[in-house]
Amino acid sequence: MKASRLPPHMMLLLPAVIVLAAVVVLPLLLSLWSSFTPFRLTKPESVYQFIGIRNYQRIFGDMDFWIAFGRTVLLLTVALNLEMLIGLGLALLVDRQTRGQRLLRTILMFPMMFSPILVGFQFKFMFNDNVGLVNNALQSLGLTDKAIPWLIDGKLAFLAIAAAEIWSSTAVFAIFILAGLMAMPRDPQEAARVDGCTPWQTFRYVTWPFLMPFAFIAMTIRSLDVARAYDIIKIMTDGGPAGRTEVLWTLIARTAYSDARMGMANAMAYVAILLSVAFTAYFFSQLGKARAQVAGDW
Amino acid sequence: MDANASARLKKRGSAWALNIALFISMLIICLPGLWIVLNSLRPTVEIMAKPPVWIPRELSFDAYVDMFSGVGQGGIPVIEYFRNSVIIAVTSTIISLAIGMSGGYAFARYRFKGKSAWFLGLMLTRTVPGIALSLPLFFLYAKVGLIDTHAGMIIAYTALNVPFTIWLIDGFFRQVPRDLAEAAQIDGCTRWQAFWQVEFPLARPGIASAGIFAFLTSWNEFALASQLTRSTDSKTLPVGLLDYTAEFTIDWRGMCALAVVMIIPALLLTYAVQKHLVSGLTSGAIKG
Amino acid sequence: MNYLTTASAAVLALATAASAQDLPGSFEGVTIEAKLIGGQQYEPLYARIAEWEAATGAKVEVISKKNHFELDREIKSDIATGQLGWCVGSNHSSFAPQYPGIYVDLRAYLPEESLADFVPGNIQSATLDGKLVMLPRAQFDVSALYYQKDIYEKADAAAFEAEYGYPLAVPDTWDQVADQAKFFADAPNFYGTQYAGKEEAIAGRFYEILVADGGEFLDADGRPAFNSEAGVEALNWFVDLYQAQAVPAGVPNYLWDDLGQGFASGTVALNLDWPGWAGFFNDPEASKVAGNVGVAPPPKGSAGIRSGWSGFHGFSVTQDCETPEAAASLVWFLTNEDSQKLESAAGPLPSRQSVWEHVIAEAEGDAYRTEVLKAFQVAAETAFPVPQTPSWIEITNVLYPELQAAILGDKTPQEALDTAAEEATYILEDAGEL
Repeated sequence: MKASRLPPHMMLLLPAVIVLAAVVVLPLLLSLWSSFTPFRLTKPESVYQFIGIRNYQRIFGDMDFWIAFGRTVLLLTVALNLEMLIGLGLALLVDRQTRGQRLLRTILMFPMMFSPILVGFQFKFMFNDNVGLVNNALQSLGLTDKAIPWLIDGKLAFLAIAAAEIWSSTAVFAIFILAGLMAMPRDPQEAARVDGCTPWQTFRYVTWPFLMPFAFIAMTIRSLDVARAYDIIKIMTDGGPAGRTEVLWTLIARTAYSDARMGMANAMAYVAILLSVAFTAYFFSQLGKARAQVAGDW
Repeated sequence: MDANASARLKKRGSAWALNIALFISMLIICLPGLWIVLNSLRPTVEIMAKPPVWIPRELSFDAYVDMFSGVGQGGIPVIEYFRNSVIIAVTSTIISLAIGMSGGYAFARYRFKGKSAWFLGLMLTRTVPGIALSLPLFFLYAKVGLIDTHAGMIIAYTALNVPFTIWLIDGFFRQVPRDLAEAAQIDGCTRWQAFWQVEFPLARPGIASAGIFAFLTSWNEFALASQLTRSTDSKTLPVGLLDYTAEFTIDWRGMCALAVVMIIPALLLTYAVQKHLVSGLTSGAIKG
Repeated sequence: MNYLTTASAAVLALATAASAQDLPGSFEGVTIEAKLIGGQQYEPLYARIAEWEAATGAKVEVISKKNHFELDREIKSDIATGQLGWCVGSNHSSFAPQYPGIYVDLRAYLPEESLADFVPGNIQSATLDGKLVMLPRAQFDVSALYYQKDIYEKADAAAFEAEYGYPLAVPDTWDQVADQAKFFADAPNFYGTQYAGKEEAIAGRFYEILVADGGEFLDADGRPAFNSEAGVEALNWFVDLYQAQAVPAGVPNYLWDDLGQGFASGTVALNLDWPGWAGFFNDPEASKVAGNVGVAPPPKGSAGIRSGWSGFHGFSVTQDCETPEAAASLVWFLTNEDSQKLESAAGPLPSRQSVWEHVIAEAEGDAYRTEVLKAFQVAAETAFPVPQTPSWIEITNVLYPELQAAILGDKTPQEALDTAAEEATYILEDAGEL
């Protein structure tokens, strides 16, 4: 038996490696090849025509692509940071409660039950300028007498999308940070208070360093699957109007299927993947640092 | 009023303020969800009314009755979708937990060359957006006949979830002291028995929390499912939502009703498992 | 060799045409795989599949059921991966030109007299490069102008006439629509009209107004020609209404469902929309304007041409299908007189002359339904399909962001159209059409 000669750790890792190679790596190699071709879905034979890096050259010279790229980075930065802040706030509030924890935690996770595509529909209807919930509420409360064009104005649409994204994903941060709070030993906090620290100082120098690894693990997980935001944006604005909310994923999907230019789309997808790899690797290194610090303090 | 009492009052005041803040934030979290539930119970004319109708005038379960009343009479094959979703989500969760346990155990208990590179490599497979994966994967699946099958979806979702389950479970096994398993082995257990009787029970919260994340991901996934499923043989609930859209119309009420059908099982499961969840996430984060 | 295959194909075609005289025919033991469009509006017809199975002895296996856009993606994926062994697919006249060569010419399998009853214009739009690639079902779409009747009774007609110089009546031209929309509008509570502002939806609307204003989308050589004077005039219609706040501020993100829901909410006076909404608008359960809905034919442009961007759903048979006779029989069956009667009973418009007569006779005594059918019949007479290029959808994808940019004031209409025309030229060049 040849297989049994593999060291045991490789045997244990083998299933994971096989599945990931088959479902992720192999398709990626296929799409890497097609990014060097003018592949069009409706002309299958075009996948055999090698054109070198022409797709990439076109992308690098395309302002629309770079604007979408910049907007994607901005959206990720804004959304992830706000999610972390709000998640921290929520976790602190829930942690204080002695009763009803079980219910509160379930409510906290409620948005995670919503499929991103559903979140998209939901927020699109809520932000509709004419009959949407948000404008109706604002008008009924007398805060405005205008129909605010939430999904039209570039900045407002960005806000609306960020709101949907934050609503649906803050739970991940809240639940991780809450886990951290519950695991935290209470003695250092007590000691800090006895030493006369203000609540802010206690939080800043005792609680937060302990919570950092939790925040970063949530950050890493979120950056791993931020592309989920695609479903939301696709339904809410699909990058429009006039490209004002275009992000990489909407651009890729439209190029790939609606325009059927798969080769070009795969070249764009590779740039997008590099972006997520960079984000994830950054958070991974931060996670490592934060862990080292906690380990050192203990 | 002495200083003590006023301090107490102040403290009680800020406690109340924080309680109110908690209440409001919980309300904001729930509101969009409750709005969906409400819309599934109201006629469209009221949902889209302007000026808005804040207090529902009539509630009915018509949308739910319609949904189950059969294809062609306003219904959608919701039973089949539900069945597919359950089979796919549950099976892929179980498989990815098994693979995650085996992989996590390897990372936690063995030293080998290039360990952190392997680890990072496995994690990074998760960064590939579904939209970039969907066509090449479709291409492969078409070659081996996995399009529109449960097996195809299960394999795809397993791959989606494995990196994360490995990560969480790895952290958990690290937390279980090595001595415990070694002691069991000295007592005459095989390594396998030691694993099941000593390490596995201790790591259970971590496995439960990895499981709920994996389940929710599979249950809600849309981008891959819309490409790899086609008929009632394998279409899942999120894809089924689009049955309520036609070329020119969206049946928002029906969609809300289906959304409620989708959310309830996920909610029940989370409620049942969430006790493990919080404790389960702890060790994964600290012990890297 | 070549001669032989051609000859045998011709013999085969003759043989099948002869045997097809007795439609639906008999196909014992044959299984047909079908990809059908899903959704409430389209499903009732599929109940008839069982009847076809009983009549022919064949079986139908529905291997995919999705909405229009998802199905389009799926078929493109199938083309890319060579998975075209299934037989019958739902198709749409706007999408059909994108799938070059994957569908058979149905004339080879169906006798000429079985096609005679179809509305000639529809058959013409279903014919690409001389091949009849699809048979239209009773899901013919062209727009008509829905309006709230009572606003014409309540409005200050004298003030309108003083301002615009002609008496207030239901509009018959795009200019009148614009005048009246501005006159009725009272943002943010009430709007004069609305339009879908993205994707193929706005590109199509722009296209039909362009044609109505005497312009061309592609010129005789197939080059983009929409950045003409007529193009600017057509685009200005959209820009002008947006800037006058006669349409909701959100229109650039609206699609068809937003329009339908908006009109049903009673906050829009005039609404050019599809026949599928006629029942919805007059249903008190769904619509606040029920009982108050008027329907008029679509307006004319400055060239006196009535706009009539149209499309229809139908069924096609793939080239790779192993049993094309059986598949063609199914396609015929799903679009025959009984099938179209069944479908059009629920509201959609037929594509057979006999069924048009039937639905009009059925509607007798129902004033609203009669009004609806009359308006749509006028619209159908002058309806036209989208430009018959495989790149139509791709061109709309570069056109609509430019239209939006002009509507939102980021660009002038001329600039926007010039940019779009330039990009459309690249697309056509890349596709080898120029």
